[in-house]
Amino acid sequence: MEGIPITLSDQNSKKPGVIFVLEKASLEVAKVGKSYQILNSDDHANFLRRNNKNPADYRPDIVHQALLSILDSPLTKAGRLRAVYVKTEKGVLFEVKPHVRVPRTYKRFAGVMLQLLQKLSITAVGKREKLLRVIKNPVTQYLPVNSRKIGFSFSSEKLIKIRNYVDTVNNESDLVFVVGAMAHGKINTDYTDDYIAISGYPMSAARCIARICEALEDKWDLL
Amino acid sequence: MAKTDKTTNMKSKPNKKKKKNSGPKSVAMKNKASKADNNPFETIWSRRKFDILGKKRKGEEVRIGLSRSLAIQKRTNTLLKEYEQTGKSSVFLDKRIGEQNNTLGEFDKAIMRSQRQRQLKSSKKSKYNLSDGEDDELGIPGLGSLSERDDFEDDMLSDDDNYDDREADGRDKRSNVLKQLNAHNPAERDLTEGEENKHKSKKEVMEEVILKSKYFKAQKAKDKEENEQLMEELDKTFSSLVQSEALLSLTEPGKTNALKALVNKDIPNEHLINDGKKPETFKQEQPDSYDKLVKEMALDMRARPSDRTKTAEEIAQDERERLERLEEERQKRMQAPDDSSDEENEGNEKLSTLRPKSISGDDLGDSFTLDEEPKAKKGWVDEVLERNDASGSEDEDSSENSDDAEVDEGSEEDDDAEEKTVSLQDWEQSDDDDLGTDLEEGEEEEKELDEENDDSTDDEEEMDPRGSKKLKDNVTVENRKKDRKSLEAKNIKENHAQRSVQRDIPFLIEAPKSLKEFCALLENCSNADIIEVIYRIRVSNAIKLSAENRKKIQVFYGVLLQYFAVSANEKPLNLELLNLLVKPLMEMSMEIPFFAAVCARQRIEWTRTQFCKDIKNPENGCWPSLKTLFLLRLWSMIFPCSDFRHVVMTPAILLMCEYLMRCPIMSGRDIAIGSLLCSMVLNVTRHSKKFCPEVIMFLCTLLMAAKDKKSSSHEESEFYHLRIQVLRPLLCIRDRVNDIRPLNFLTIMNMPEDSSFFSSDDFRSSVLVTLIETLQAFVDMYEGLSSFPEIFLPIETLLLELAQKQNMPAALQEKLKDVAQIIKKKAGDSLLLRRPLQMQKKKPVSIKLLNPKFEENFVKGRDYDPDRERVELRKLKKQVKSEAKGAVRELRKDNYFLSQVKEKENARLQEERAEKYGKARAFLQEQEHAFKSGQLGNGGRKRKR
Ligand SMILES: C[S@@+](CC[C@H](N)C(=O)[O-])C[C@H]1O[C@@H](n2cnc3c(N)ncnc32)[C@H](O)[C@@H]1O
Repeated sequence: MEGIPITLSDQNSKKPGVIFVLEKASLEVAKVGKSYQILNSDDHANFLRRNNKNPADYRPDIVHQALLSILDSPLTKAGRLRAVYVKTEKGVLFEVKPHVRVPRTYKRFAGVMLQLLQKLSITAVGKREKLLRVIKNPVTQYLPVNSRKIGFSFSSEKLIKIRNYVDTVNNESDLVFVVGAMAHGKINTDYTDDYIAISGYPMSAARCIARICEALEDKWDLL
Repeated sequence: MAKTDKTTNMKSKPNKKKKKNSGPKSVAMKNKASKADNNPFETIWSRRKFDILGKKRKGEEVRIGLSRSLAIQKRTNTLLKEYEQTGKSSVFLDKRIGEQNNTLGEFDKAIMRSQRQRQLKSSKKSKYNLSDGEDDELGIPGLGSLSERDDFEDDMLSDDDNYDDREADGRDKRSNVLKQLNAHNPAERDLTEGEENKHKSKKEVMEEVILKSKYFKAQKAKDKEENEQLMEELDKTFSSLVQSEALLSLTEPGKTNALKALVNKDIPNEHLINDGKKPETFKQEQPDSYDKLVKEMALDMRARPSDRTKTAEEIAQDERERLERLEEERQKRMQAPDDSSDEENEGNEKLSTLRPKSISGDDLGDSFTLDEEPKAKKGWVDEVLERNDASGSEDEDSSENSDDAEVDEGSEEDDDAEEKTVSLQDWEQSDDDDLGTDLEEGEEEEKELDEENDDSTDDEEEMDPRGSKKLKDNVTVENRKKDRKSLEAKNIKENHAQRSVQRDIPFLIEAPKSLKEFCALLENCSNADIIEVIYRIRVSNAIKLSAENRKKIQVFYGVLLQYFAVSANEKPLNLELLNLLVKPLMEMSMEIPFFAAVCARQRIEWTRTQFCKDIKNPENGCWPSLKTLFLLRLWSMIFPCSDFRHVVMTPAILLMCEYLMRCPIMSGRDIAIGSLLCSMVLNVTRHSKKFCPEVIMFLCTLLMAAKDKKSSSHEESEFYHLRIQVLRPLLCIRDRVNDIRPLNFLTIMNMPEDSSFFSSDDFRSSVLVTLIETLQAFVDMYEGLSSFPEIFLPIETLLLELAQKQNMPAALQEKLKDVAQIIKKKAGDSLLLRRPLQMQKKKPVSIKLLNPKFEENFVKGRDYDPDRERVELRKLKKQVKSEAKGAVRELRKDNYFLSQVKEKENARLQEERAEKYGKARAFLQEQEHAFKSGQLGNGGRKRKR
């Protein structure tokens, strides 16, 4: 039975999109034993110590959680996410398409990342379309020209309520959020327009992203 | 050719490649020593792109400058030489021994050359020359000793073989010896081989062989002795064992005897051995009998437990066989009744006791157990009809026969009746037949039984409070199955008791072809006897026995139905007989389901047309007759009611509803029949939960009839005024009613239409009670309907109104309120669950998500294509491509190199030429100068000359 659609079908009348940049992601491939693996602090603590590295710095799970929290958000589901760019600690930059279903388990995620970093691209199952691919630096060349780029750090002096902040941003320009996907340290801020803290407490990257997404969903009435 | 001449140059090439492969580092290191200082560019290392932890950087660590200079060097060694030699017609070919192998030193080469020389010499001459031994050994060191060794090994082998052959018969005894030998042999052989390497002399070898054989012989003798000793010991212990109890208990007595005999035989033998007289013969003999026995005993031990189980099995088998035999007999008796009456009797008794097992009495009331036959596809009635058509011609004979027989019965409407359904139509028209008189004689008895039956049903009703308030007939119908059980038991008992007293019923009865025949058979029969007769007819004409019995049974089924209908129409009613008839009818319907369905359908159709005729003049009552009611009830028991669509039940339900809808309610009798119909519909639709608005409406109408006329006139919803006629307040209770007695439907039916009972308050209250009961059942049934509140809420108000009435008995009032309460609650519930009408909600559509494709345990460079062939192809292509690229690169470099060389050459030539030119010019200039200056004086002379 055909019903009367209650909402007017708004035909993608150029709504502002969102881009996330995850800086300093800890995704490092190493040859452990015979095989190549994404280093993480749990499985490779000894290996890292042997190589004079601090296991605490190897946290690919942060990227995983952050990606999940971006791609699971209603914001993404509603098609507002344009892309996610991830830059690893080593400087490798790759793009994640908004319609990727990121593997839910870390092990599978690590598998995808490993393959991505070696093959430089990941296609969709049964398609040729590239869902993830390594791209050339710098990330700024991929960001929309008139977009507003906002960096996030706990250490910023500018503590702001994000809901209010997104309201102030003008409605046409795309938004780029730069969030760190590392355990410690600050993000690179040389291309961001703003540099803000959204909580008085240090948060995980995933939580920080969730806050951003919620604020935007609230603003754009994405239920 | 060119290739071969290249070899000298090439020899360095593979070498270098190898080195390069094994690691340029090492080369670098090597070269470093020599020319590290020479070229500062060679010390430059290649830069790595990514630092991958844990990865051994093998290929990446390349000194670019060094490798380049190496490549150039290589080219100068190969390409340059080739280039230089182009255009040359002859080459120098170095074929000296060892010259190709550059690992050899100069001295080694010399040795090889001299060796070769000698070989050539010896091979040519030794053919004819007698060697002086020393020469041989020196010349070909391996050869002589090799042959020797072969000989020796052969010797050893043959020795072994002989040994084996000799001892093959006594292998068991000697096994330890062999083992020893085997253990010895390799070591020894090693030893000999080791020694051989030292070039043993023949004499030494022979000595060794002799020694060895001696050793073996000694060993053998020793073993033999030991074995014998052991054997003796064994024999002794064995004989003692035989005497002991242990063995006895283990083996069968017969075997033990044999053993004893053997031992007894052995014992003297043993003596003999001890005496040392005939040990050899004993040894020959003994194993035979002993071995045999041992083998047997071993078998014994294994067989015994299985023997025991076997006996158990056998017992079981015997038992089974016996049972099978009995079963066979029983089957035989069941299927084919013997001619001799005695046996038949027995068989019957057995059968009748067996019957309840196969089709228990519980089946009767429950329509579900009859499901087998009505797994009806849509068109199976058509199928049946077709089949009937097909078999019609075959049937003709028998049906014609029956037709002939039935001519007397005078079925008036015979003309339009088709032949094949003669029997059907016969009983359909049995309405008009009056055969009741036939049974009058038996009736007195039956009445008594009837009363008993009634009593029992009454008892049951009292036990079942809910049932007791229903119409009596309803109860009795429902209780039929219970009755049946008790009656069956009674029946069987009676069969025993009565048969001796009463007249004999023939054991083999041909199936009657008409109702008249059947009635003649049943003359003067008690109810039990009638059933017995039916039973015997069915047994003696069982379908299983022969094919034509099917037709007989079908005809008989028709007759039986007819009989059922006729007896239902009788006055007074023989209810017990009807109850008893249900069982055989049901069983037969299961045997011939198609026929039964066809019968029922035709009957229903006929009834319906009759009804349509009757309704035109409603004065003379168009409510269904008792017979129709009974038949409907019978069908609802025979056929499954829960089917969504059923060939019999669907029209039956429709018919019932039509009655309820269209028949005018004129009298109390009509009300009684109507409420009975309601409860029947309830019964039928209970499982399928079909909604029958006619029933609800009828109930509602009756309830309204209970109201006073004045109050009822105005505020009824139009929904309940679909019935055309205006209702008289037939059920309005005028006075106080003290107690409400359940109605007996049959008595009501027997009453004349204008009996005063119908206008009594007693009747009214009782009817109201049943109505409310039925209504409540319907309420329970329809509670799942989404329109429940709309259907039942008006009734609720009606009920409450009724409850308010002054003369309403208290019990009834309570009931009314109860039902109203239930309706209210359920309506509220379903209203609660109702969702308001909504605009269709559009769920936001999520963007389509795609799964990334990745491999577990991804290894770089491996192709994860499942198509192996394609992978292989791709790999090869890739290889070709890279090779081609490499080749192109090399060629390019070669060309570059060559052009460089050529350029150099050219430059050199140019230079040379320029030099020459310069020289020549200088010379000429000088000469000119000299000439001009007159230094030489030549010119002057010439000129002068
Ligand atoms: C685990 S935190 C890194 C902590 C680091 N000490 C810092 O100050 O950013 C990962 C990321 O979450 C974001 N984040 C965490 N807490 C935040 C806050 N209170 N305000 C804004 N961003 C925050 C930042 O983008 C940060 O790079």
